[in-house]
Amino acid sequence: MRLTTMGVARNFDESIVGIITAEKLPPDQCMDRIRLFASAKMADDERLTPYRALLCPDELQNPPDLPFIHRLRDSDHLKDGDIVVLEGSTGLVRSLYRPYELHHHLFVTERCNSNCLMCSQPPKDRDDVEVLTARNTELIKLIRQPPSYLTITGGEPTLLGDNLFTLLSQLKVSMPETELHMLTNGRAFAWPEYSRQFAGIEHPNISIGVPLYSDFAGSHDHIVQARAAFDQTVAGLHQAARNEIRVEIRVVLHKLTIPRLTKLMEYIYRNLTFVEHIALMGLEYTGYTPRNIEQLWIDPLDYQDQLEQAVEFLAMRNMTVSIYNLQLCVLRQSLWKYSKQSISDWKNAYSGVCDACTALRQCGGFFHWNTKVQSRGIHPISENLEKANHGPVPLDSR
Amino acid sequence: MDQFDKMRSPDESQAIVEINLAIISAEALLKTSHWFSRDFVCEIRTRNEHIVDVLLTPRSATSASELELARQSFISSAMDFALREKIEAKTSGIRDLLLAKAFSESGVLEDQPEGLFGDRVEEAKPDGMFKILSNPRH
Amino acid sequence: MARVFHPLERFAPAPTAFHLLPFRFTRLDGKELLVNEAGEYIFVPNGTVENLANEQVDTNSELYQDLRAKHFVYDDCSSPLLDILATKVRTKFDHISGGTKLHIFVVTLRCEHSCDYCQVSRQTASRGEFDMSTSTADRAISMMMDSPARDITLEIQGGEPLLAFDVIQYIIPRAKTVALQRGKNLDIVVCSNLACVTDDILKYFRDEGVKVSTSLDGPAFLHNKNRPRPGHNSYEKAIEGIERSRAILGIENVAALMTTTAASLDHVIEIVDEYVRREFHSIFLRPISPYGFALKTRHRTGYEMGRFLEFYRKGLAHVLKVNRSGYRIAEVYTQILLTKILTPHGSRYVDMQSPAGEAWNVLVYNYDGDVYASDESRMLAETNDRTFRLGNVHKDTRRTIFTHEPALRMFQTSCNQALAGCSDCAFQSYCAADPVYHYATQGDMYGYRATSGFCSRNMQVIRHLFSIIAEDDRETMRILWSWITGQSVHGEVVECA
Repeated sequence: MRLTTMGVARNFDESIVGIITAEKLPPDQCMDRIRLFASAKMADDERLTPYRALLCPDELQNPPDLPFIHRLRDSDHLKDGDIVVLEGSTGLVRSLYRPYELHHHLFVTERCNSNCLMCSQPPKDRDDVEVLTARNTELIKLIRQPPSYLTITGGEPTLLGDNLFTLLSQLKVSMPETELHMLTNGRAFAWPEYSRQFAGIEHPNISIGVPLYSDFAGSHDHIVQARAAFDQTVAGLHQAARNEIRVEIRVVLHKLTIPRLTKLMEYIYRNLTFVEHIALMGLEYTGYTPRNIEQLWIDPLDYQDQLEQAVEFLAMRNMTVSIYNLQLCVLRQSLWKYSKQSISDWKNAYSGVCDACTALRQCGGFFHWNTKVQSRGIHPISENLEKANHGPVPLDSR
Repeated sequence: MDQFDKMRSPDESQAIVEINLAIISAEALLKTSHWFSRDFVCEIRTRNEHIVDVLLTPRSATSASELELARQSFISSAMDFALREKIEAKTSGIRDLLLAKAFSESGVLEDQPEGLFGDRVEEAKPDGMFKILSNPRH
Repeated sequence: MARVFHPLERFAPAPTAFHLLPFRFTRLDGKELLVNEAGEYIFVPNGTVENLANEQVDTNSELYQDLRAKHFVYDDCSSPLLDILATKVRTKFDHISGGTKLHIFVVTLRCEHSCDYCQVSRQTASRGEFDMSTSTADRAISMMMDSPARDITLEIQGGEPLLAFDVIQYIIPRAKTVALQRGKNLDIVVCSNLACVTDDILKYFRDEGVKVSTSLDGPAFLHNKNRPRPGHNSYEKAIEGIERSRAILGIENVAALMTTTAASLDHVIEIVDEYVRREFHSIFLRPISPYGFALKTRHRTGYEMGRFLEFYRKGLAHVLKVNRSGYRIAEVYTQILLTKILTPHGSRYVDMQSPAGEAWNVLVYNYDGDVYASDESRMLAETNDRTFRLGNVHKDTRRTIFTHEPALRMFQTSCNQALAGCSDCAFQSYCAADPVYHYATQGDMYGYRATSGFCSRNMQVIRHLFSIIAEDDRETMRILWSWITGQSVHGEVVECA
């Protein structure tokens, strides 16, 4: 589903974060609300202060003194209760949080000290930490109903330095029951003092998700395009464990990671035994991936042997493993029980050929960008799934 | 590299192994003898500065072919012990360090992470967080 | 500044420069087996060790990558991560931390059996003389709880402990009280032949949360041959006792151990089948310990290590076959060794530890208050050799026990890292030291590895297990892993005695 739209901004230069209301509200409830008018006429009939800002797809005829963005290109995706940010300098409206969705992200920076060949969020070397932290601080305040899960992502969240600790502390106070999962390359944790400070926040419900792509340092460093990354990541994982920070490992499955996949599992088992969970993830055709596709692409049908071997390796040793972002029709049936529906609501899409598939509801589907480059194995499943041993587990969230 | 001569003893109930001390050290030789002493009396005779002869006298009835096998086994075992010595020489320092770290009080012997942090924005800052963490004087 | 992508060469090491990390090696099945300081192993082609010693391994090869990943070499492209390796070494030695965890109380020497190999003197059945007094029990409990370990196991043995049931009834509530006071978790096990067990005794055990361990040497003919008693019905009594115990305590709280004698050696299949028939889910194919009366009666119960090896190999093969047919049963000796070989952890089994578990991880409190380093040490004392008598509960404290001559002499020979023959051995991380065994069989604690039964047995069993590991048969490995993790082959957790 659409995340952003553009319009013409007036009366403000900075960012404004607020909750969308599609209906008129009494004055004491307007302070943190952004009033969305379906048409300009509706704006005329209503008292406009003290809303935080206004939005309208049409041109507002009697422009008020309040900050507003009008002439919005799209507005159907904006629902009552959504939390959005309005950019005064550009007229951009970005959706940050949709209460009705299952998966929620807190985006904290575009900076990153790695440069993975398959990065789905290519980094920018622009210091956006101040701006985004201010935005996120406000966002957290506005979340009315704490979600079950919240993923903290970027870029590389640890680059926020103290700002990250501030955000986590704020989350600890305002939504202590919410399970936080922070995606990070883990490198900062190699500095013992950093791990200690992170653990010092004592958030009751947080785990970090750290990518590790090979048991061989040179190979991992090449994939993440950063020297010493492997060493720092592994050392970071150890420091995290030592400070009782919960850890998960993520591996993206592509041509560079498949050859040593089981050996990587062995490395994790022997050296990172404390890891709670290992996530094996299908490749996303987005971000940097198209540029590097020659190095990366391998049809999932062609790596089912290695995948099965890797999963079995871990299962035998009682380690928890899940498969994400792969469609059921290309996954060997013995692996279905490890497959989780994980693609965020706004990313789901199904290829036309899927209409006839009996496993549609259990399958995670595709990222909409992945419908361009697909496995030759995509096909509708026609067997009665009651007979099949275990279907994949629909995930609560994540 | 074959430094071993053919068996020279006229006494067929013994095997003689010629050892060049430049290839196989006395220690490797002793270690080998230590294991072979279960089945053989191992007598080491110095021939000259570099060569010793090891006389293997079986403790129980042994055929000629068994004796020859034992002699060959002694040689390969000695070479393996020589190899172990070589490896130990190259790794004993780091082994000591490893064990010291393994049994030290937590944190006392910890290494600082190597390599750069790798973020251009962070590295440009004079008082960046990771500079502070990396600098042992702070 | 735009970001640029770099090729692999920029991140991989130079062709020749690498360094060695410490490791030991041996030759097995036409390959070389290398084991590093943290007990991690790798199979490599013949000649690799020499190439490593001469720095002639190609750093672009898959072999090099494997060696690097498993901490056998490192290079200038990435650090040896010594802190990680050190943590792994430390994990392997976990059994050292915490102090003595297993405390064996010999509550009486009385027993109505007269087993050939028994390491307990045969005594008449009159009460009192060879029973643990209440004051000894009190002192022993106190010394037990002085151990810094948070999880303590109290094992009550004899003779036949049920003949002194009153002593047991005295000990259990007191031990529990002190455990509570000192913040310890206490597990209690009673080791009995169950010949004289009653429902009342079992109900008492049930109510106190006590587990029972008994002996089952195999089918009737074997068990009765090994364990003579008036009536020649040790087997029948044992089975009856097992069934009764299970009915009252629950099947998971009744364990069985076998003892191997010369008579057992030709019957491993029948022994395993007996355990299956009796619905046990673990069996321990262990060798007879050569102590106490066993040394005297060696001609009746003595046997060579080679025959035991055959017994073990055949037994393991049969156990695996039984597992393949769908019945889950673990072989414990294998499980102990595989835990050391295949997992990052050490072993909690006191007989297979280095530094040796004797004294450090297990203490035996005899009926008279004498404290011994192990059960075997006490049996040695029955032949008037008190070398391993560490002290007495009425005269010593835990501190004096660990700082006086007998214990100190033992500790000097307790680390296989420092024993001739062991210091170079590839299996050092998987094997153990046993000063008591070597003293009893060879005359000194240090021992001579080349003729040591302990060495030869462990080396050959470990070799055999590595052959199985190298074969990497999928089903076999799944079964073996299910023993290690305690999960069934299909993933459910299994409670097994």
